[in-house]
Amino acid sequence: MTAVTKPTTTILPESRASRQERIKTQLATLGLTGYGILAYLFLYLPIIILVIFSFNDSRSTAQWAGFSTAWYVEMMQDNQIIISLWNSLFVAIVSTAISTVLGTLAAMAMERYRFRGRLVMDAILYLPIIIPDIAMAIMLLLFFNISGIGFNTWRIELAGLRLSVPYSVIIGHVAFNISFVAVVVRARLAHMDRTLEEAASDLYANAWHTFWRVTLPMLMPGIIGGALLAFTLSLDDFVITFFTAGPGFNTLPVRVFGMIKKGVTPKINAVSSLMLAGSLALVLISIFLRRGDDRGGIEIV
Amino acid sequence: MERFDVELRKVTKRFGEVTAVRDVTLQIRSGEFFSLLGPSGCGKTTTLRMIAGFEIPTSGQILIGGQVQGHLPPHKRPVNTVFQHYALFPHMTVYQNVAFGLEMQKVDKAEIAARVGQALELVHLTGMENRKPKQLSGGQQQRVALARALVNRPKVLLLDEPLGALDLKLRKNMQIELKNLQAEVGITFIYVTHDQEEALTMSDRIAVMNRGRVLQVGSPEVIYEQPENRFVADFIGETNFVTGVLQRAGLPVEIEVAGQLVQAGWLAEGVRTGETAVLSIRPEKIHLLPGSANGEAHQFGTAVSGQVERTIYLGTDTRYLIRLDAETRLVVRMQNTQVGHSHFAIGDTVWACWNPAHARVLSAEE
Ligand SMILES: Nc1ncnc2c1ncn2[C@@H]1O[C@H](COP(=O)(O)OP(=O)(O)OP(=O)(O)O)[C@@H](O)[C@H]1O
Ligand SMILES: [Mg+2]
Repeated sequence: MTAVTKPTTTILPESRASRQERIKTQLATLGLTGYGILAYLFLYLPIIILVIFSFNDSRSTAQWAGFSTAWYVEMMQDNQIIISLWNSLFVAIVSTAISTVLGTLAAMAMERYRFRGRLVMDAILYLPIIIPDIAMAIMLLLFFNISGIGFNTWRIELAGLRLSVPYSVIIGHVAFNISFVAVVVRARLAHMDRTLEEAASDLYANAWHTFWRVTLPMLMPGIIGGALLAFTLSLDDFVITFFTAGPGFNTLPVRVFGMIKKGVTPKINAVSSLMLAGSLALVLISIFLRRGDDRGGIEIV
Repeated sequence: MERFDVELRKVTKRFGEVTAVRDVTLQIRSGEFFSLLGPSGCGKTTTLRMIAGFEIPTSGQILIGGQVQGHLPPHKRPVNTVFQHYALFPHMTVYQNVAFGLEMQKVDKAEIAARVGQALELVHLTGMENRKPKQLSGGQQQRVALARALVNRPKVLLLDEPLGALDLKLRKNMQIELKNLQAEVGITFIYVTHDQEEALTMSDRIAVMNRGRVLQVGSPEVIYEQPENRFVADFIGETNFVTGVLQRAGLPVEIEVAGQLVQAGWLAEGVRTGETAVLSIRPEKIHLLPGSANGEAHQFGTAVSGQVERTIYLGTDTRYLIRLDAETRLVVRMQNTQVGHSHFAIGDTVWACWNPAHARVLSAEE
């Protein structure tokens, strides 16, 4: 005889051991959350304060006196700041363009060819990333003196302004940016499937066509990433610019440094907020491009 | 004189210390489905890459369509490759992928469009022109790779384990499709695989490779029925190797195994009377008879006596393990043609008989 027994559905009370473990887990979660929040506050509070006080309706950078955009207006009217902003952009654009091309070529040489002295060249290529900015700045300064490049300037008209940019600053920026571009591009190159290039050459593409139609498009995300990094570093650079600029040439960071010597005003906050916004925009662009990269299927399995 | 699409003459390729391909000579006929078969690392890919021009032989010559290739780069050789992982250009659409080779050859736009259309039709991918490779299944990517190569109408198509990345069922389907496709386009295929079944079902001829050497070239039937050495016999299908001493080198060849004299139909070169050799015979070529059927057994040509040690029922047939002496066993496969008829039980004394033409005596080495 087989009796059909219904399965029991009674819920039993939680055991002591289980309860202890549950509470432990909850406490740990709470503690870690609090710690996380504190860490972020520590990082971002100064930035938030900086931005807030750039809108302060007073000369004070410590006491809040109401909202105002006066400092931004004043910043826009300060010819010195406008010129140094354009100087910064000009140096960044030119040095990024040059270092992106040279850095990409260097990365390809290091990754694709085996030649005598490659390891030494490799180490030298990355040196600018490692050595202190100040050492690099002094080396460059010496180089400009000895080579006769000096502080000769490139005169251009841009946005109705007359700029005169020392070649030394551009060369200095190129010198450190090449390394960063090369690192980023090389990472991409190392992941790239070489059979794609073989496939191209199997399909009657010569070396030139293979490069333009396959290698370069595949490397593009790396090259753009490297260029954005170079652009950001160039905009942010202070030490090397300061040493290689010669008299009278200011980029934005150098200009801010000059202003600070005369006391911190909310105008400096405004300029800094502007630079911050620029950097953020660049980061956002690079994140956006990387997402497009994942969707667009540049990666292959 | 016969024309060959591809010829390798004493080709050797060394990578530093490693000799990947050793003194390989091959002649591949026009329109043939030719397979390179062998275990991992035996040099199949290297051989194919030398034909394509990705590697230059350390010594020896490669001829395509009668022309010595020498140092010609891949883009100057009249062959195309289907890569193991397809190597489709991820930043191009299916159409752009397939059109790439024609564009590089400066074919005009209208003809490119027509030929790409045809090629995609051939591999049943019409309508997928604007997809990116990532939006295709493995089987579809495989077809794009095929179309991309075939659209150029090469003399020879080189395929490196093109079905390796597909699951079993798809692989079986693609085997048939590929074979039909080859018959349809009439292009010579050189096909690399390590799957013996695939090679047997698809090829006109097979070259079996091991450790950089080509050990035997022949039709699937020849490779299976008439292996010339131990490696080939062992790599393709299942076989019995029984070590013995050669008694007679003339036909029929006689060898003593487990104290009994048996006959075989073929003897490998270089094995002499009195030396140790190996008898090779496929399990399905052996027939079992009851120990009492003495006269009948010897009508088969040759027979050895032993005991049934184990039986395994496999549906269509039954496998028997026959013990000849303390060290020697024979595997026998008998078809189950009669209902409810189990031939032999464990412990039975039986005669294992075969036609000497099916047995071969091979060198004990390799
Ligand atoms: N570029 C290379 N440099 C050094 N050794 C190599 C190179 N290419 C192949 N080899 C070696 O040559 C031998 C043959 O390699 P190959 O790729 O031809 O084998 P395969 O038969 O295609 O094997 P698989 O079935 O695993 O693909 C291997 O021992 C391999 O390690
Ligand atoms: Mg291989």
